[in-house]
Amino acid sequence: MNAPTDRDLILRARRGENTAYSELVTRYQTSVFNVCYRILHNYFDAEDLAQETFIRALDRLHTFDLEREFSPWVRRIAANLCLNHLEAQKPSAALDEDRDEDKTQSPAEQVEVKERSEQIRAALASLPPHYRIVIELRHYQELSYAEIAAELNIPLSDVKSHLFRARQLLAEKLHAPD
Amino acid sequence: MHLTDDQLNEYLDDESSEHDAIKTHLDSCAECAARFSALQTLFAKLDSLPDTALSTNLAARFLPDRKQIPQLPRWLTLTISLQAVGALIALALAAPFVSMLLPQAPSLTAWLFEIQTLWIAGLDAISNYQLPIAQLPTYPVEISTLFIALAIVSVFWIFGNGFLLRNQRK
Repeated sequence: MNAPTDRDLILRARRGENTAYSELVTRYQTSVFNVCYRILHNYFDAEDLAQETFIRALDRLHTFDLEREFSPWVRRIAANLCLNHLEAQKPSAALDEDRDEDKTQSPAEQVEVKERSEQIRAALASLPPHYRIVIELRHYQELSYAEIAAELNIPLSDVKSHLFRARQLLAEKLHAPD
Repeated sequence: MHLTDDQLNEYLDDESSEHDAIKTHLDSCAECAARFSALQTLFAKLDSLPDTALSTNLAARFLPDRKQIPQLPRWLTLTISLQAVGALIALALAAPFVSMLLPQAPSLTAWLFEIQTLWIAGLDAISNYQLPIAQLPTYPVEISTLFIALAIVSVFWIFGNGFLLRNQRK
Protein backbone atom coordinates (compact mmCIF):
# COMPACT_ATOMS: atom_id res chain seq x y z
CA MET A 1 0.00 0.00 0.00
CA ASN A 2 1.29 3.48 -0.88
CA ALA A 3 2.27 5.79 1.95
CA PRO A 4 -0.27 8.60 2.41
CA THR A 5 0.71 11.96 0.91
CA ASP A 6 1.32 15.02 3.07
CA ARG A 7 -1.95 16.42 1.78
CA ASP A 8 -3.88 13.33 2.97
CA LEU A 9 -2.21 13.51 6.35
CA ILE A 10 -2.97 17.22 6.71
CA LEU A 11 -6.63 16.69 5.85
CA ARG A 12 -6.87 13.86 8.37
CA ALA A 13 -5.03 15.91 11.00
CA ARG A 14 -7.49 18.76 10.45
CA ARG A 15 -10.27 16.32 11.29
CA GLY A 16 -8.52 15.63 14.60
CA GLU A 17 -6.66 12.43 13.77
CA ASN A 18 -3.62 12.51 16.02
CA THR A 19 -1.90 9.63 14.30
CA ALA A 20 -1.95 11.52 10.98
CA TYR A 21 -0.28 14.58 12.49
CA SER A 22 2.19 12.37 14.32
CA GLU A 23 3.14 10.83 10.96
CA LEU A 24 3.75 14.34 9.56
CA VAL A 25 5.94 15.16 12.55
CA THR A 26 7.92 11.95 12.03
CA ARG A 27 8.53 12.93 8.41
CA TYR A 28 9.78 16.44 9.08
CA GLN A 29 11.13 16.47 12.62
CA THR A 30 14.77 16.11 11.57
CA SER A 31 14.68 18.94 9.05
CA VAL A 32 12.77 21.21 11.45
CA PHE A 33 15.15 20.35 14.27
CA ASN A 34 18.13 21.19 12.04
CA VAL A 35 16.67 24.60 11.18
CA CYS A 36 16.51 25.29 14.92
CA TYR A 37 19.93 23.82 15.59
CA ARG A 38 21.61 25.87 12.85
CA ILE A 39 20.09 29.07 14.21
CA LEU A 40 20.37 28.40 17.95
CA HIS A 41 23.47 26.20 18.09
CA ASN A 42 22.15 24.63 21.28
CA TYR A 43 20.86 21.06 21.06
CA PHE A 44 18.26 21.16 23.81
CA ASP A 45 16.93 24.59 22.89
CA ALA A 46 16.68 23.39 19.30
CA GLU A 47 14.73 20.33 20.40
CA ASP A 48 12.33 22.46 22.45
CA LEU A 49 11.82 24.93 19.62
CA ALA A 50 11.27 22.10 17.13
CA GLN A 51 8.58 20.70 19.41
CA GLU A 52 7.07 24.17 19.75
CA THR A 53 7.14 24.54 15.97
CA PHE A 54 4.97 21.47 15.48
CA ILE A 55 2.54 22.64 18.17
CA ARG A 56 2.24 26.03 16.41
CA ALA A 57 1.87 24.35 13.04
CA LEU A 58 -0.94 22.17 14.40
CA ASP A 59 -2.71 25.27 15.74
CA ARG A 60 -2.41 26.95 12.33
CA LEU A 61 -3.05 23.87 10.22
CA HIS A 62 -6.47 25.15 9.16
CA THR A 63 -4.76 28.17 7.55
CA PHE A 64 -2.30 26.05 5.56
CA ASP A 65 -2.72 26.29 1.80
CA LEU A 66 -3.02 22.70 0.55
CA GLU A 67 -1.64 23.70 -2.84
CA ARG A 68 1.73 24.41 -1.22
CA GLU A 69 4.26 22.06 0.32
CA PHE A 70 4.18 21.38 4.02
CA SER A 71 7.94 21.19 4.59
CA PRO A 72 8.91 24.78 3.63
CA TRP A 73 5.90 26.09 5.54
CA VAL A 74 6.79 24.34 8.78
CA ARG A 75 10.49 25.18 8.42
CA ARG A 76 9.62 28.86 8.09
CA ILE A 77 7.56 28.66 11.26
CA ALA A 78 10.63 27.14 12.94
CA ALA A 79 12.91 29.91 11.66
CA ASN A 80 10.55 32.62 12.92
CA LEU A 81 10.19 30.97 16.32
CA CYS A 82 13.98 30.74 16.62
CA LEU A 83 14.34 34.40 15.71
CA ASN A 84 11.82 35.36 18.40
CA HIS A 85 13.63 33.09 20.83
CA LEU A 86 17.00 34.69 20.08
CA GLU A 87 15.61 38.19 20.41
CA ALA A 88 14.08 37.35 23.78
CA GLN A 89 17.22 35.59 24.99
CA LYS A 90 20.15 37.04 26.83
CA PRO A 91 23.23 37.27 24.60
CA SER A 92 25.33 35.00 26.83
CA ALA A 93 23.37 31.80 26.21
CA ALA A 94 25.44 28.65 26.35
CA LEU A 95 26.27 27.13 23.00
CA ASP A 96 26.72 23.48 22.25
CA GLU A 97 29.69 21.51 21.28
CA ASP A 98 29.09 20.21 17.84
CA ARG A 99 27.34 16.87 17.45
CA ASP A 100 27.86 16.24 13.76
CA GLU A 101 29.15 12.82 13.02
CA ASP A 102 28.65 10.35 10.26
CA LYS A 103 28.99 6.72 11.33
CA THR A 104 29.84 5.64 7.76
CA GLN A 105 33.09 7.60 7.78
CA SER A 106 36.43 6.58 9.23
CA PRO A 107 37.31 8.01 12.66
CA ALA A 108 39.81 10.44 11.07
CA GLU A 109 37.20 11.65 8.57
CA GLN A 110 34.63 11.97 11.34
CA VAL A 111 36.99 14.18 13.33
CA GLU A 112 37.62 16.33 10.27
CA VAL A 113 33.92 16.71 9.47
CA LYS A 114 33.18 17.47 13.10
CA GLU A 115 35.86 20.15 13.27
CA ARG A 116 34.75 21.74 10.02
CA SER A 117 31.09 21.67 11.04
CA GLU A 118 31.90 23.07 14.44
CA GLN A 119 33.76 25.94 12.79
CA ILE A 120 30.80 26.75 10.54
CA ARG A 121 28.24 26.44 13.33
CA ALA A 122 30.34 28.60 15.65
CA ALA A 123 30.65 31.22 12.93
CA LEU A 124 26.87 31.15 12.37
CA ALA A 125 26.22 31.37 16.11
CA SER A 126 28.42 34.45 16.37
CA LEU A 127 26.17 36.40 13.98
CA PRO A 128 23.45 38.73 15.25
CA PRO A 129 19.97 37.09 15.17
CA HIS A 130 18.76 38.97 12.06
CA TYR A 131 21.85 37.96 10.11
CA ARG A 132 21.48 34.33 11.17
CA ILE A 133 17.90 34.20 10.06
CA VAL A 134 18.57 35.58 6.56
CA ILE A 135 21.41 33.09 6.11
CA GLU A 136 19.06 30.27 7.17
CA LEU A 137 16.25 31.38 4.87
CA ARG A 138 18.51 32.01 1.87
CA HIS A 139 21.04 29.17 2.10
CA TYR A 140 19.10 26.36 3.77
CA GLN A 141 15.51 27.12 2.84
CA GLU A 142 16.40 28.63 -0.54
CA LEU A 143 13.99 31.54 -0.39
CA SER A 144 14.37 34.46 -2.80
CA TYR A 145 15.14 37.96 -1.54
CA ALA A 146 11.49 38.94 -2.03
CA GLU A 147 10.24 35.87 -0.13
CA ILE A 148 12.61 36.58 2.76
CA ALA A 149 11.43 40.20 2.87
CA ALA A 150 7.81 39.03 3.00
CA GLU A 151 8.55 36.37 5.60
CA LEU A 152 10.41 38.70 7.95
CA ASN A 153 8.29 41.72 7.09
CA ILE A 154 11.32 43.87 6.32
CA PRO A 155 12.24 45.90 3.19
CA LEU A 156 14.08 44.18 0.36
CA SER A 157 17.04 46.53 0.89
CA ASP A 158 17.36 45.26 4.49
CA VAL A 159 17.34 41.65 3.30
CA LYS A 160 20.23 42.39 0.97
CA SER A 161 22.24 44.38 3.48
CA HIS A 162 21.74 41.77 6.23
CA LEU A 163 22.59 38.92 3.91
CA PHE A 164 25.68 40.48 2.36
CA ARG A 165 26.99 41.70 5.71
CA ALA A 166 26.35 38.28 7.27
CA ARG A 167 28.34 36.61 4.49
CA GLN A 168 31.14 39.09 4.94
CA LEU A 169 31.32 38.31 8.66
CA LEU A 170 31.15 34.58 8.03
CA ALA A 171 33.93 34.79 5.45
CA GLU A 172 36.12 36.71 7.91
CA LYS A 173 35.55 34.07 10.60
CA LEU A 174 35.89 31.04 8.36
CA HIS A 175 38.87 32.22 6.35
CA ALA A 176 40.73 33.64 9.30
CA PRO A 177 43.86 31.65 10.26
CA ASP A 178 43.49 29.59 13.49
CA MET B 1 36.18 49.36 -12.77
CA HIS B 2 35.55 46.37 -10.48
CA LEU B 3 32.30 44.71 -9.44
CA THR B 4 30.86 45.62 -6.04
CA ASP B 5 30.22 43.04 -3.31
CA ASP B 6 26.50 43.57 -3.78
CA GLN B 7 26.76 42.76 -7.48
CA LEU B 8 28.71 39.57 -6.75
CA ASN B 9 26.27 38.46 -4.06
CA GLU B 10 23.23 39.10 -6.26
CA TYR B 11 24.88 37.31 -9.17
CA LEU B 12 25.64 34.24 -7.06
CA ASP B 13 22.13 34.30 -5.61
CA ASP B 14 20.74 34.39 -9.13
CA GLU B 15 18.94 37.64 -8.32
CA SER B 16 20.93 39.99 -10.54
CA SER B 17 19.36 41.97 -13.36
CA GLU B 18 22.77 42.38 -15.04
CA HIS B 19 23.70 38.72 -15.18
CA ASP B 20 25.35 38.71 -18.61
CA ALA B 21 27.39 41.86 -18.00
CA ILE B 22 28.74 40.46 -14.70
CA LYS B 23 29.59 37.14 -16.31
CA THR B 24 31.52 38.91 -19.06
CA HIS B 25 33.35 41.02 -16.51
CA LEU B 26 34.29 37.98 -14.41
CA ASP B 27 35.77 36.30 -17.49
CA SER B 28 38.13 39.20 -18.03
CA CYS B 29 38.96 40.50 -14.52
CA ALA B 30 41.20 38.28 -12.37
CA GLU B 31 40.67 40.36 -9.22
CA CYS B 32 36.87 40.15 -9.37
CA ALA B 33 37.09 36.46 -10.33
CA ALA B 34 39.15 35.82 -7.17
CA ARG B 35 36.59 37.62 -5.00
CA PHE B 36 33.83 35.69 -6.71
CA SER B 37 35.68 32.42 -6.07
CA ALA B 38 36.06 33.26 -2.36
CA LEU B 39 32.31 33.89 -2.13
CA GLN B 40 31.63 30.59 -3.89
CA THR B 41 33.85 28.84 -1.33
CA LEU B 42 31.78 30.34 1.48
CA PHE B 43 28.58 29.11 -0.19
CA ALA B 44 30.09 25.63 -0.50
CA LYS B 45 31.08 25.60 3.17
CA LEU B 46 27.57 26.56 4.26
CA ASP B 47 26.12 23.90 1.97
CA SER B 48 28.45 21.28 3.42
CA LEU B 49 27.03 21.59 6.92
CA PRO B 50 25.56 18.16 7.69
CA ASP B 51 22.21 17.54 9.35
CA THR B 52 22.40 16.53 13.00
CA ALA B 53 20.50 13.50 14.19
CA LEU B 54 17.62 14.02 16.58
CA SER B 55 17.82 11.80 19.67
CA THR B 56 14.15 11.98 20.67
CA ASN B 57 10.99 11.32 18.73
CA LEU B 58 8.98 14.55 18.66
CA ALA B 59 6.03 12.73 17.09
CA ALA B 60 5.33 10.81 20.31
CA ARG B 61 3.71 13.86 21.85
CA PHE B 62 1.10 13.99 19.13
CA LEU B 63 0.07 10.35 19.38
CA PRO B 64 -3.18 9.61 21.23
CA ASP B 65 -2.86 8.69 24.90
CA ARG B 66 -2.61 4.89 25.18
CA LYS B 67 -4.67 4.99 28.37
CA GLN B 68 -7.65 6.24 26.41
CA ILE B 69 -10.21 3.79 25.09
CA PRO B 70 -8.57 2.08 22.14
CA GLN B 71 -10.21 2.66 18.80
CA LEU B 72 -11.74 -0.44 17.21
CA PRO B 73 -10.32 -1.56 13.88
CA ARG B 74 -12.14 -0.09 10.89
CA TRP B 75 -13.38 -3.48 9.63
CA LEU B 76 -14.84 -4.32 13.05
CA THR B 77 -16.60 -0.96 13.33
CA LEU B 78 -18.10 -1.49 9.88
CA THR B 79 -19.20 -5.06 10.71
CA ILE B 80 -20.84 -3.99 13.96
CA SER B 81 -22.68 -1.15 12.20
CA LEU B 82 -23.94 -3.49 9.49
CA GLN B 83 -25.03 -6.03 12.10
CA ALA B 84 -26.97 -3.34 13.98
CA VAL B 85 -28.73 -2.22 10.80
CA GLY B 86 -29.53 -5.86 9.93
CA ALA B 87 -30.91 -6.53 13.41
CA LEU B 88 -33.18 -3.47 13.21
CA ILE B 89 -34.54 -4.58 9.82
CA ALA B 90 -35.12 -8.15 11.13
CA LEU B 91 -36.91 -6.77 14.20
CA ALA B 92 -39.20 -4.61 12.07
CA LEU B 93 -40.03 -7.57 9.81
CA ALA B 94 -40.57 -9.96 12.72
CA ALA B 95 -42.78 -7.69 14.84
CA PRO B 96 -46.15 -8.59 13.14
CA PHE B 97 -45.41 -12.32 13.40
CA VAL B 98 -44.49 -12.08 17.07
CA SER B 99 -47.78 -10.32 17.84
CA MET B 100 -49.62 -13.13 15.96
CA LEU B 101 -47.81 -15.81 17.96
CA LEU B 102 -48.53 -14.11 21.28
CA PRO B 103 -52.20 -13.06 21.04
CA GLN B 104 -52.66 -13.31 24.82
CA ALA B 105 -49.89 -10.81 25.53
CA PRO B 106 -51.20 -7.48 26.85
CA SER B 107 -51.31 -4.68 24.34
CA LEU B 108 -48.78 -1.87 24.29
CA THR B 109 -51.36 0.51 25.77
CA ALA B 110 -51.85 -1.82 28.74
CA TRP B 111 -48.09 -1.97 29.29
CA LEU B 112 -47.83 1.84 29.18
CA PHE B 113 -50.74 2.15 31.60
CA GLU B 114 -49.03 -0.26 34.00
CA ILE B 115 -45.79 1.73 33.84
CA GLN B 116 -47.66 4.99 34.42
CA THR B 117 -49.44 3.53 37.49
CA LEU B 118 -46.13 2.38 38.97
CA TRP B 119 -44.55 5.79 38.28
CA ILE B 120 -47.40 7.66 39.99
CA ALA B 121 -47.28 5.30 42.98
CA GLY B 122 -43.53 5.91 43.29
CA LEU B 123 -43.97 9.69 43.16
CA ASP B 124 -46.71 9.49 45.84
CA ALA B 125 -44.44 7.48 48.10
CA ILE B 126 -41.64 10.04 47.70
CA SER B 127 -43.93 13.02 48.32
CA ASN B 128 -45.43 11.43 51.48
CA TYR B 129 -42.06 10.46 52.95
CA GLN B 130 -41.20 12.48 56.03
CA LEU B 131 -37.67 13.03 57.07
CA PRO B 132 -36.92 12.32 60.74
CA ILE B 133 -36.78 15.62 62.54
CA ALA B 134 -33.32 16.23 63.84
CA GLN B 135 -31.54 19.22 65.31
CA LEU B 136 -29.49 20.92 62.61
CA PRO B 137 -25.87 21.37 63.63
CA THR B 138 -24.79 24.86 64.50
CA TYR B 139 -21.76 26.31 62.76
CA PRO B 140 -19.30 28.61 64.43
CA VAL B 141 -19.54 30.92 61.39
CA GLU B 142 -22.45 32.37 59.48
CA ILE B 143 -23.82 30.44 56.51
CA SER B 144 -23.17 33.46 54.24
CA THR B 145 -19.48 33.39 55.24
CA LEU B 146 -19.36 29.72 54.32
CA PHE B 147 -20.84 30.50 50.91
CA ILE B 148 -18.30 33.26 50.33
CA ALA B 149 -15.46 30.91 51.33
CA LEU B 150 -16.87 28.26 49.00
CA ALA B 151 -17.02 30.79 46.16
CA ILE B 152 -13.37 31.82 46.74
CA VAL B 153 -12.25 28.18 46.80
CA SER B 154 -14.17 27.58 43.55
CA VAL B 155 -12.45 30.52 41.87
CA PHE B 156 -9.03 29.19 42.97
CA TRP B 157 -10.00 25.73 41.78
CA ILE B 158 -10.98 27.05 38.34
CA PHE B 159 -7.79 29.10 37.99
CA GLY B 160 -5.70 26.19 39.26
CA ASN B 161 -7.18 23.91 36.62
CA GLY B 162 -6.61 26.58 34.00
CA PHE B 163 -2.91 26.78 34.86
CA LEU B 164 -2.61 23.00 34.88
CA LEU B 165 -4.18 22.76 31.43
CA ARG B 166 -1.97 25.56 30.15
CA ASN B 167 1.18 23.85 31.39
CA GLN B 168 0.04 20.56 29.96
CA ARG B 169 -0.44 22.25 26.59
CA LYS B 170 3.14 23.53 26.76
